[in-house]
Amino acid sequence: MTPVPHTHDPGSVLRRLRLTGVTGLAAAALVLAACGGGGSSTTAPEASAPAATSEVDTLKIANGVAIDTLDPAENAANESIWLDQNIYARLVQTDPTGTKIVPDLASTWEQSADGLTWTFHLNPAAKFADGSPVTAADAAWSINRARALEGGWGFLITPVTSITATDPQTVVIKLKTKHAPLLADLAMYAYGILPQKAVEADKDFFSKTPYGAGPFKVTKLEPDSQLVLTRNDSYWGPKPKISTVEVSVVTNDNTRVLQLQGGQVDVIENPPGNLVKQLSANPKLKVDLFPSTRVDFLQVPLKSKPFEDVRVRQAVKAALDLDAMNTLAYQGNAVPANTFFPYKMLHWAESIPTPKPDLDKAKQLLTEAGFPNGFKTDLITVSGDAAGQAQAVVIKDDLAKIGIDVTIQSYEQSTAYTNERSGTNGLGLRYWTNDIIDPDEVATFGADIKGGANSFSSYWGDEATSKAINDARSETDEAKRGELYAQVQQTIADQAPFIPLAYAPFRYASGAWVNGFQVSPLGNYNDSLLSLTVGTH
Amino acid sequence: MRALGLSWTRLANLVPVLFGITLVSFVLIRLVPGDPATQILGNRYTPEAAEQIRNSLGLNDSILTQYGIFLRSAVTGSFGESYQYHRPVGEILVDRVGPSLLLVAVTAALCTLISLPLGVLAAVRRGGALDQGTRIFFTLGYALPAFLIGIVLILVFGLRLGWFPIGGYGTGFGQHLYHLVLPAVTLAIPFSTVLVRSLRASTINVLESDFVTIARLKGISGWTVLARHVLRNAIAPVAVVFGVNLAFLVGGTVVIENVFSIPGMGSLLVGAVATRDYPVVQAVSLVLAVFVLLVNVLTDVVHRLLDPRLAVAVTR
Repeated sequence: MTPVPHTHDPGSVLRRLRLTGVTGLAAAALVLAACGGGGSSTTAPEASAPAATSEVDTLKIANGVAIDTLDPAENAANESIWLDQNIYARLVQTDPTGTKIVPDLASTWEQSADGLTWTFHLNPAAKFADGSPVTAADAAWSINRARALEGGWGFLITPVTSITATDPQTVVIKLKTKHAPLLADLAMYAYGILPQKAVEADKDFFSKTPYGAGPFKVTKLEPDSQLVLTRNDSYWGPKPKISTVEVSVVTNDNTRVLQLQGGQVDVIENPPGNLVKQLSANPKLKVDLFPSTRVDFLQVPLKSKPFEDVRVRQAVKAALDLDAMNTLAYQGNAVPANTFFPYKMLHWAESIPTPKPDLDKAKQLLTEAGFPNGFKTDLITVSGDAAGQAQAVVIKDDLAKIGIDVTIQSYEQSTAYTNERSGTNGLGLRYWTNDIIDPDEVATFGADIKGGANSFSSYWGDEATSKAINDARSETDEAKRGELYAQVQQTIADQAPFIPLAYAPFRYASGAWVNGFQVSPLGNYNDSLLSLTVGTH
Repeated sequence: MRALGLSWTRLANLVPVLFGITLVSFVLIRLVPGDPATQILGNRYTPEAAEQIRNSLGLNDSILTQYGIFLRSAVTGSFGESYQYHRPVGEILVDRVGPSLLLVAVTAALCTLISLPLGVLAAVRRGGALDQGTRIFFTLGYALPAFLIGIVLILVFGLRLGWFPIGGYGTGFGQHLYHLVLPAVTLAIPFSTVLVRSLRASTINVLESDFVTIARLKGISGWTVLARHVLRNAIAPVAVVFGVNLAFLVGGTVVIENVFSIPGMGSLLVGAVATRDYPVVQAVSLVLAVFVLLVNVLTDVVHRLLDPRLAVAVTR
């Protein structure tokens, strides 16, 4: 807002002016656009081995997004989810590589011969941060609570019929059908185990100083500015070397980078892609790129002409240059996508070739479909998403070569999503990230027309694919599951209801004085906080 | 009330204005495409889940019903529950209003400290080095966008010299003030520009009037004339400029709070608009509107106290 210059009329004009001031302000606020971050890069640097003790006992992290809530069943913001993992233990957890399930509160578990009854045995040493023991009743209550939440995560474990505590150390889960992803689902943040009595006794439990049985507990919470985590002395596992983690919320990308350069914070989330080079050149700082489960894809509007014709979709796919996109959008730090499954995740089909541009084939396909001279279409993008805008430019350029005239439409995030959902508004740029390590989630959302999400809003589906996804869910032989998922990935690659573009990494920057900060493919860094050390700087 | 030149009717007139503002912000945020349920679900969007969420948030009720619910919640001060934070909006406002008010207060104080001496001196030594210097400096400050000034200040005083923290709000009152120095200076530069120019203009006006000449002829010393006669008369129109711009300063804080990551109303509003957190947008718009209207009323009061002629004109 610019200040108003002096006016000599203290009367009506002034009053009118002030009112415009008010309404203008509200209107301006309403048209303000949100900015999404871009992305960039691939492999994590070699982690230097953390020292035996930490010289500085506090780690300061600056995140770009406010904490929506610390109730694990209600979380939506990734940044809050990654914090949850430090506070609440689950029955089982994902290992730091994001590839397998390892014990957490349950030290052992077994399933019945028919695969319909699972029994989990809790570690008797497990305690909540207030010193009280973790009981099977707490565990059963917490999982049931998360499962029952409207709009929550219950749909992941629909085959579950009951979760009960048969004695203080034993949780029994019964299923109506076999459910291969069960352990992966239970390792999810939403199924964190909570102290039942404390949560029930205080309706504001999660907005004050929530705690669970994780290595840290909350000692201060201001959702939109800072969170202080303090080492939980009752934690039964390895004691973290740092005693405090201070997380601040700094929404402005440049401010986060400046704070890191000034040594005010130790680790920052999502430094802007265009500053990566500059940060890497500074010997006091390092840019960390960690493999993630993010898959950028081009949504195709199957409900509108001419995209209902598979040849048109294949032509679009054959025209795209994924390498050029990677260079321009991610400075070459992403991996061009070969399937819609996240990179190197469980059952990712490595054998499916990454598409290479073939303009002759693309033109031929378009001619066969009846569009020898191409056609016009729109491409929906999110304004302020630097990587997405770069991808859009490459797509426009590539498709122009086969006569398709693309108009790039930039919307603010919320509007872009809404416009893409209907499957009738032109091409759109979107991305997917996993919440669990099992491919069941991405397969259901992306390729099962009956899965609820209309195959990423493409409205594409076929019986065989839906059946393969359902069979894979209850198939416990991993080799057979792999075959089923390979078939699903191949079908999506051939039918192109949407076109996977890139596997983008998680991007962090940290001071050279931080040793051992690591992020798993699901975005969690809780494992690394157990051994991480901070040097003086 | 009367003595302050405020009538009940004047205050009663504010009520429809407030209604208008709530209605406009209420309807506008709903007209903007983008759906809260879509935003809440993100990747996990399914039409059924979205419908379920819209139902539970009451977004499927008629717009009048929704508006009625909002008005009721506004009267109780709870303002409903935030979609994003799952907390009563009233509680969030309480957390957020302090930093913004403190930022506005520190900015206003800085402006007064900067503008009063500079404006008067520029008038007294017209065309002198100080006059020209302030003119150039403030014209620049006025022309540059606030976020740019903010970043330059961070680079120089935060990063290079390390005198002040780079954004954030700290813990405890002393730390809050310390963290607010740079953002307040950022806001004060364009704000002071207007004040210095208008104070200079009105001081020159008064300096040229007859009673000042007479006072001088009486042999009253220059400084006494300035303090007793000139400043008193020159300040009245400037007070109005101050008031009007203070209202606009609220708009400036929206940008600056984001640059310096201050947890105030401005950054709350930006975040809430982006996530389509309707209850928060409505509540913040209302609170900001009330603030602006209050400043307007106070400006009128102060103006009348400084310039009795106005009160006469109004009552006639």
